[in-house]
Amino acid sequence: MKLTRRKRNMALITMTPLVDVMMILLVFFMVTSTYLDLDMMPMVQSESEGVAAPADPAPTLLIRITASGEARLRGQPLTAQSLASALASQPRARVLILPSGGANVQALVSAIETATKAGAENLRVVRLEAAE
Amino acid sequence: MKLKRRTQPPPQETIVSLIDVIFFLLVFFMLVGRMDATAPFEVSPPVSAAGESLPKGGTTIAVAENGALALDGEAIERPALLAHIADLLSKKPGLFVRINAHGEARLTNLLPLVTALERAGVGDVVLVITPNPA
Repeated sequence: MKLTRRKRNMALITMTPLVDVMMILLVFFMVTSTYLDLDMMPMVQSESEGVAAPADPAPTLLIRITASGEARLRGQPLTAQSLASALASQPRARVLILPSGGANVQALVSAIETATKAGAENLRVVRLEAAE
Repeated sequence: MKLKRRTQPPPQETIVSLIDVIFFLLVFFMLVGRMDATAPFEVSPPVSAAGESLPKGGTTIAVAENGALALDGEAIERPALLAHIADLLSKKPGLFVRINAHGEARLTNLLPLVTALERAGVGDVVLVITPNPA
């Protein structure tokens, strides 16, 4: 005797729960994410370590940042023009930024920005030691 | 004479295209967004036009306006932070550290920290800034 297997209907997969789950995930990512456009400024770079002092030391231009956040070059308020003209007379000069500990981060970043705009290539920030 | 309107079958709406669109949106938001732990205090980075693009990955140290510190979203004291960084550094020598400092934070809370990180052996430290298009 031959038994015939009854043909079963194909199980129907409903898409609706899948769409629901995806919709919830999408809304979750849209709501929880905050999209920030951020840049960076290098503070420590591994390749700059171990640089020996050159035999012929380059002249130094010192930019001081006061506790109130004002950047000064040779006693005058720092501008991109004043630094550019100082760099034009001393092309190999390195630019050293000496910030006061009381100044804020914005003041340092603004001074670095001005120096970069003026074309300073050899730019360094004098870092303060921690009071232990 | 009475005209009999032909009954039209209801149009078949396929849900597949909707799923496709939602799936693309989902993948887009997952790829574009970078999941970063946010600091337990408010941090608005300094504004500057002289920044470079921020690379992905690494560890984030947040510095609050009053000098409070956080490592990857968890508030932490400075000695514990340095110990944690030294621990991470032993596992991953080329550790990349981002410092997300508040623009109004004093430099006494930032620069000695950078020096300490450099002494600990971190070779790549960057300061996060907000780009200024002007």
